[in-house]
Amino acid sequence: MAMLAEPRYHSPEVLDEVFTDLEHFGPSGLPFAGGTDVVVGLRKGKLAPRVMVDLKRVADLAQGIEVNDTWLRIGALTTLSRLVAHPDVRSHFPALVEAANTVGSIQIRNRATLAGNICNASPAADTAPALLAYHARIALVSRHGIRQMPVADFVLGPRRTALRAGEVVNGIDLPLDGGVAGSSFTRLTRRRGVDLATVSVCAVVDRRGTHIAYGAVAPRPFVLTDNAGVLADPHADPAARKALLTGFAAHASPISDLRGSREYRQAMVITCSERALQTAITRRHRP
Amino acid sequence: MNSEIVGASVRRVGGQERVTGRYRFVGDLRLEGMLHVKLVGLDCAHARVDAVQADAARSLPGVHAVVTENDLPRPMPRFGPVHHDRPILTTGYTTYHGEPVAAVVAETEELAAHAAQLVRVDYTELPSVTTVAAALDPTSPLVQDPDRRSGALAFTNVLSESRFGWGDEPGAAELVVDEAYVFPMVTHFAIEPHTFLAAPDHDGVQVWSAVQHPFALQQVLAELLGLPLAKVRVHAPDPGGAFGGKQHAKFEPLLALIAQRLSRPVRLELSLEETFQAVRRTMFEIRLRSGFFRDGRFAFQDAECNALLGAYADIGPRVVSKSTYLMCGPYRVPSARIHVRALLSHTPPATAFRGFGTPQVVWALESQLDEAARRLGIDRLEIRLRNLAGPGEEFMRGGKPADGDWGISLRRAAEEVRWSEPLPSGRGRGVAVGIKASATTGASYAIVRLHVDGSATVLSGTSDMGQGARTVLAQIAGQELGVDVLRVRVVMGDTALVPFDLQTSASRSTVFMGSAVRAACQDIHRQLVEMAAATFQLSADQVSVTGGLVQLPSRKLSFAELLAEAFAGVGGEVIGIGSRRGEHVGTHPLGGPPAFYEFSATACEVAVDDETGELTILKHISVADVGRAINPAQVESQDEGAAIMGLGHTLMEHLLFDKRGAVRNLGALDYRIPTTKDLPLALQSLLTENGDGPGPYGAKGAGEGGLFAVAPAVASAVAEATGAVVRDLPLTPERIWRALQDTKDPSDA
Repeated sequence: MAMLAEPRYHSPEVLDEVFTDLEHFGPSGLPFAGGTDVVVGLRKGKLAPRVMVDLKRVADLAQGIEVNDTWLRIGALTTLSRLVAHPDVRSHFPALVEAANTVGSIQIRNRATLAGNICNASPAADTAPALLAYHARIALVSRHGIRQMPVADFVLGPRRTALRAGEVVNGIDLPLDGGVAGSSFTRLTRRRGVDLATVSVCAVVDRRGTHIAYGAVAPRPFVLTDNAGVLADPHADPAARKALLTGFAAHASPISDLRGSREYRQAMVITCSERALQTAITRRHRP
Repeated sequence: MNSEIVGASVRRVGGQERVTGRYRFVGDLRLEGMLHVKLVGLDCAHARVDAVQADAARSLPGVHAVVTENDLPRPMPRFGPVHHDRPILTTGYTTYHGEPVAAVVAETEELAAHAAQLVRVDYTELPSVTTVAAALDPTSPLVQDPDRRSGALAFTNVLSESRFGWGDEPGAAELVVDEAYVFPMVTHFAIEPHTFLAAPDHDGVQVWSAVQHPFALQQVLAELLGLPLAKVRVHAPDPGGAFGGKQHAKFEPLLALIAQRLSRPVRLELSLEETFQAVRRTMFEIRLRSGFFRDGRFAFQDAECNALLGAYADIGPRVVSKSTYLMCGPYRVPSARIHVRALLSHTPPATAFRGFGTPQVVWALESQLDEAARRLGIDRLEIRLRNLAGPGEEFMRGGKPADGDWGISLRRAAEEVRWSEPLPSGRGRGVAVGIKASATTGASYAIVRLHVDGSATVLSGTSDMGQGARTVLAQIAGQELGVDVLRVRVVMGDTALVPFDLQTSASRSTVFMGSAVRAACQDIHRQLVEMAAATFQLSADQVSVTGGLVQLPSRKLSFAELLAEAFAGVGGEVIGIGSRRGEHVGTHPLGGPPAFYEFSATACEVAVDDETGELTILKHISVADVGRAINPAQVESQDEGAAIMGLGHTLMEHLLFDKRGAVRNLGALDYRIPTTKDLPLALQSLLTENGDGPGPYGAKGAGEGGLFAVAPAVASAVAEATGAVVRDLPLTPERIWRALQDTKDPSDA
């Protein structure tokens, strides 16, 4: 067991100080918000920063959720508990609520942020498939301004993101003009309470097509879209639907680990996507 | 006076302190001038230690010592409850993952941990034995040095081997079922980490450890340190969960030697990961070849049991012999041949764990009965009832006859899950029973002091590790002395204060220590009669004690009234002494007959998701034959706790090892235990109380039974729901899914 390293702890109050810290310490400065993954990394010796830059008190980073006509903006410091309680998130993005509610325990969700769940870049991050399937975009802020990209492009691989030196997350935007009709998140775990996903899938049926995003079955979460309307059509030939989902599942490249074997995961990718899709379609027809 | 203290669910003694965080566990203790110890281990199981380079660690300010084998007596002293095979610190080799090669002693816990990182161990990794097959393979490396073993098995990894049985050679059976069953290694996962403190004490030593057997630890320390028992004082604060994992000495001898050497108190707290590496349940592979008559009765039982112990014997050989003694369960089996091997391996020492080998044996036996029932087309409840021994029946040839009406509990369990009613598809029910031979030999002594105001102090060497022994002993004293439980103090956990008790294990405390406390109270009754006779100038036969009162020819007195009269102006108290002993019987295979059998029946209903293999337990019924529940709420909570613990090895728990013999799922993230969300949707414990136990008021022991039969009951329900039969635990979704793939007819695909 590694001893807890003793990095310095900074708690800047404005973004300018954050940037100064990050410039000064470079890769050995570690920005964090909830810290629920960071503390585990420190304990296991996988993270050994010289300076921990706590973002929780930074006034220019939002703790809440802002809604306009086209976007729902989730501030960088928004905790998962706050996220799942928000009425607009609940009504427009129920699969994100389902996904966020599977992260850790209530205590963890009171502390952990949505942005942090994505920046941790675990292949099994619970909220990632939902963000991908809803076409969420992430906003990154640095001294040079703000840039945006799809969350799908932000996560590069296990523990790797497109975050550049000197950059932190400003917020995550979910489009309100996508015409989401039905969505659902499902996942498989070894036990029901507090566990990491063996397989996770989010299905979203919207104006543009049916989007299915997958977690824990590839180095990074990924999303695939059916624009032909086969998946969204409850009267489509079941064989055609199954063939399409099987084709989607072929993009998965699961590994065998303590949570499940490659073979089981590969089979469950199809089962979970069928179930998520079915629920999404059912929800679409509800008022 | 309330005469119904026994049988009432009085509030748990010490419960409020625990739920409010005020109870001081051993980990909360701090000693003046205390130093902290951190152990240094390797990340593989079996290795030759070439050199321990500790200069960097030793040179850190605040580091007092880095103790290696060179700092300890030669030859290295060894200890253990069955064989003296466990060294205080390993010599030359490590034999399981994490076995310490050095101990760093420093001013603070953090510094000790940091310095431990700086200790460089040069070592040569060696092949390790972590499976039954490897342990039986004559070409495998030997786990223990043959020079330290004796007999024909010294050059093998077989620690002990036995064959026993009864009856004639098997006659004509109409069905022979031949199957193999695996029960994995699991860890105790007590919430309280193992913590040890030791301090020099003039010409002796004091040790603090949340140990189940303080007197056994005292004995070990006295032998290793060459001290008289009276100079070794073991403090055993109530453990925060033990489950068998805190029975025997572990690092207390090392701590005591370091404390003596440095003349300072020292403290060691194991992390959860280190606890995983310190103790675990015995793993079993059992092959059963069972003959049945057409009506489902047993014709014979042939069993081949291989139990995988760890690198040191610990209490493992006793776990193996005691559990396989009941390899034929509570059933009438006319002919049996049982072959048992206890095997050494390069894994953490296997020790006692709630059930003491019984859940392992029950898993195989009950699953085998289900297989026979399926093949014979007999109802699974019916096949059990046809074989189950009746009250008083000598079901084990030459053994203690059945001491309960076990069919009552079995039928109750089945009725509660509506056994004979139809089920929707995808659902299944299971029922199974388990039986354990309880404590055999051993002594328990108790002292009860009746104070002048009628309140009482009980001195007992039992450990209250959550099972509620303090409450039960207070209830017994309260009942006998006519005093409210709130006016009884139970003193435990200090070998300098309380009289000898062999151990807190095998669900023995209510029967053995409870009887001792009751006997001590009856000793007080006798003294009170004499005292009353002398005080009031009566003859002894004119005085009696009943219902907590002294009955004189003319009136009744409370004990306090009598004492006030008798001790007027002088003061005093009445001290009662009681004991209960189970004597050694050399001819008995267990060293003596069990005081009682712990019998349990489990029934459940499950729903299986046939696409994912996930299972939901809709209803779980546990019935315990307890003789008499002295505190029904406590018995039920113990039984429910056991049932939930049983769901762990049934559904998700197993320690996994890599090729280097290292534990792959070391820690809470990858070793999963049930959470509240994993519990059955309905869970109920029922008690069968026939007053037929050997303990006070007809009580038997309880608290282990609830987990005996969980796994076979759930697996049986899964088989009914899906047709898939799983013979390896745990029943993970993936394992059930695989079994479902195997059962699916390829033509259906």
